[in-house]
Amino acid sequence: MTDDITTMEAPALPYADAVPGAVVGADEFGIIVNRDKLVEFALYLRNNEGFDYLSSLTAVDYLGFEGRTAEDRFEVVYHLFDTKKGGDGVVLKVRLPEDDPQLPSLIMVYPGADLQEREVYDFYGIRFNGHPRLRRIFLWEGFDGHPMRKDWKEAYYEAEHKPFKSRWPNGHYHWAEDRVPWGDNVKYPQGWDPNAFEPAPPPLPTIHDIPGEEIKTDRVIVNMGPQHPSTHGVFRMIVALDGETVVGLEPECGYLHRNHEKIGERNTWLGNIPFTDRLDYLSSMSNNFGYVLAVEQLMGEKGKPPERAEYLRVIMAELTRIANHMWSIGFLLNDLGAFFTPALYTIQEREMILDLFEEASGSRMMCNYMRFGGVRRDVDEDWLNRCRDLVHNRIPAKIDELDEYLTNNEILLARTKGVGYLSAEDAIALSVCGPMLRASGVPYDLRRSRPYSIYDRFEFDVVTDDGCDVYARYRVRMEEMRQSVRILKQALDDIPEGPVFKGKPGYVTRVAKGEAYGAVEGPKGELGFYVVSDGTDNPWRYHIRAPSYINLNALAPMCIGYKVADSVVILGAIDIVLGETDR
Amino acid sequence: MEILIISIIKSLALIVILLTGFAYLTYYERKLLARFHVRLGPNRAGPRGLLQPIADAVKAIFKEEIVPDHVDKPVYLLAPALALIPALVAFAVIPVAPAMTLFGRTIDFAVADINVALLYVVAITSVGTYGVILGGWSSNNNYSLLGALRTASQMISYELPLGILLAAIVLSTNIGREMGTLSLHEIVLQDRPWWLWLWLWLAFPVFFIGVLAESNRSPFDLPETENELIAGFQIEYGGIKFALFFMAEYIHMITGSALMATLFFGGWRGPFVVPGTWHGALIGFGWLFIKILALLFLFIWVRASVPRVRYDQLLHFCWKFLTPLSIAYLVITAVIVVFAG
Repeated sequence: MTDDITTMEAPALPYADAVPGAVVGADEFGIIVNRDKLVEFALYLRNNEGFDYLSSLTAVDYLGFEGRTAEDRFEVVYHLFDTKKGGDGVVLKVRLPEDDPQLPSLIMVYPGADLQEREVYDFYGIRFNGHPRLRRIFLWEGFDGHPMRKDWKEAYYEAEHKPFKSRWPNGHYHWAEDRVPWGDNVKYPQGWDPNAFEPAPPPLPTIHDIPGEEIKTDRVIVNMGPQHPSTHGVFRMIVALDGETVVGLEPECGYLHRNHEKIGERNTWLGNIPFTDRLDYLSSMSNNFGYVLAVEQLMGEKGKPPERAEYLRVIMAELTRIANHMWSIGFLLNDLGAFFTPALYTIQEREMILDLFEEASGSRMMCNYMRFGGVRRDVDEDWLNRCRDLVHNRIPAKIDELDEYLTNNEILLARTKGVGYLSAEDAIALSVCGPMLRASGVPYDLRRSRPYSIYDRFEFDVVTDDGCDVYARYRVRMEEMRQSVRILKQALDDIPEGPVFKGKPGYVTRVAKGEAYGAVEGPKGELGFYVVSDGTDNPWRYHIRAPSYINLNALAPMCIGYKVADSVVILGAIDIVLGETDR
Repeated sequence: MEILIISIIKSLALIVILLTGFAYLTYYERKLLARFHVRLGPNRAGPRGLLQPIADAVKAIFKEEIVPDHVDKPVYLLAPALALIPALVAFAVIPVAPAMTLFGRTIDFAVADINVALLYVVAITSVGTYGVILGGWSSNNNYSLLGALRTASQMISYELPLGILLAAIVLSTNIGREMGTLSLHEIVLQDRPWWLWLWLWLAFPVFFIGVLAESNRSPFDLPETENELIAGFQIEYGGIKFALFFMAEYIHMITGSALMATLFFGGWRGPFVVPGTWHGALIGFGWLFIKILALLFLFIWVRASVPRVRYDQLLHFCWKFLTPLSIAYLVITAVIVVFAG
């Protein structure tokens, strides 16, 4: 009997023969890999099976989860995809015991694992052996513990989940702060003295030392940010300069960190939707879209939205893309030194789109529009007509106008052509996504390679450009707006009548136990939500694959060798939003 | 004694006019930029926001004086003045209106009508560079140091085509006269044949670019590049000290415009100007004012329209394009002068 089961189960394990001993099991969501063979197995998948793109890397703490013990408390989850063939990827899982949470780093196989491994180390204390810069990234050195662990409690801890009953003990609210004996929310590690803390010097070369030359010169270390007009928020670049040339660059983030993911675990499933708006605050509709897609996968048939809602989602997502690219092109020009004129011209168009959002959802930027199984409100015919007018007349004309003014501008060409070169191979290896990846000539667009929602019904081109530089990124964004207009035209023609929400609205969403990875092609790139449910009202794990965070992997390789003025433009062409980067 | 008093009165009047002009130039610029940006611009302080410059001045004056610990204090405090004074002084030689007779005394409307006026302008504006460089250096800050270094090389580079073009203009004053002149007063009074006007206007774009670079205006505002160096050389300055740098830049613009109006567009000359009378002086001044406003509009237009070039591209542009071009212009002018003069 036992033999029978083994023979029956053996072929069910995918890639079991590839690397002996690597695959130790599988659940319905992924392959469980032995950590000692992880690098070998990943190499095999990359070289032989074509999974060349490490999309998301994260960890889950299963402390107290049904069916889990201390032996397999932590699980590191890798989502690998194939940029050439597209389609569903492969999910690798490495289970780690509580007392020895370490595994080999994948940075040599997928250089894009760099920032994500640092993030996992920061949040879970899982060590990635072989990672060259395994330091905290969002939190500072004086932070006590690893916050995403289930046994870590914040200073004002009230309850595991919302709604917090403690907020109304006798029918009156009272301050959580009053109940904390130390009066504030600062906790230091044992033996830590904040006054004695000296930040480590940036790991950048300070002496210009050419072998064989007598003279050694100092390099200037310029600290750009966190308060800097061109970092698009509170981002910090530590730049080592040789004259005006960048010779080293170290990105520093976390100034806007609020542990979105931990708060997401405290929230109910529904309560996270308005919260996703605050990620990339320029494109809240896309953020909603990604999150509801992930959760709807867990809900199964119950979560499938009606037709009209699907169309509305696509319309909103594409309008968001236009609004975001308008913003991004305008501010790229601003980074180039154009004094706000292009930016204000593009913002005008964005305003028109925000007006539509306001009417549909009640809010201009924080739309909170989508729900599991539909959207919150229907739009009327007048709205659709105004949207048609915008899409057919105003926006295409404006895109042409921008194209005419900007695309062949001498100074723009001189400043962006050949600047920030990123080859296609590097872009894939560094897990770069979105317009950045396509500007390196890789035709990878989730709407085409892994169609979600109803994107398989529309006709559009995946825009690519072989320039691999800032100018190519600008061109791709420009052209993507035109493709969005194309999709919008089709969607607005085909939109059916009918309900926009399935089932009856309620505050509590029941989702099945399980896990799901839902990703959309957001304006900035692949925006993925990895959710794990234990069958209760709150997510067990809520992870965001933030495109602008992962695109930062490529910042230093792109900037080195260019001038300091270029580094600003290169950062601007990544189009980061710190709400999403720092989470 | 009498000449001293007259000079003091003239200087005071000039300073008052220039400082008011600076204040309202900021208003002019903000309003114009707002039009370019499809905005309204300042409209709260006073009717149509006309009191905005005064509000700004009051704010700048009453701000707390902060001198950071890490600066080289004497140089740090001296630098704004060093930047501002040359900008003010350079205006002294520009004739703002035709001379007039008042109470039997001839008054010419230039603080100093010296015969080497052009040389004087070139010399004085170069001194202004020191203020910027010293300000950047004494601030002891990486950003301002980079800004100061950029200033040094930018100013030196762009003075070259400017100087060469000025030489060509001086050469051209030989035409139709016995001797050339360096006096702005005489350049205004000179009657040029029409083809010489056209030939001079050919040089105007290059000259204008040079003046843009000299006065640190966009797209050549590399010393302060908001986007990378934040504010460049003036990053450690606040309150009135910052305002002094700001003033220097704007007065440079005014002086530059006045100089260009004088050299290329006939200064105060225009219809209805009868030299020697009080109304002639008034109308002459009006003409110069209009010409300056039009040229300032160009400055602001450029600022609102074009992105900034990169530092190395700026120098390439100067050394590989502007300088050879202006040398060629000088050579051709010399040929013209030989044959026509």
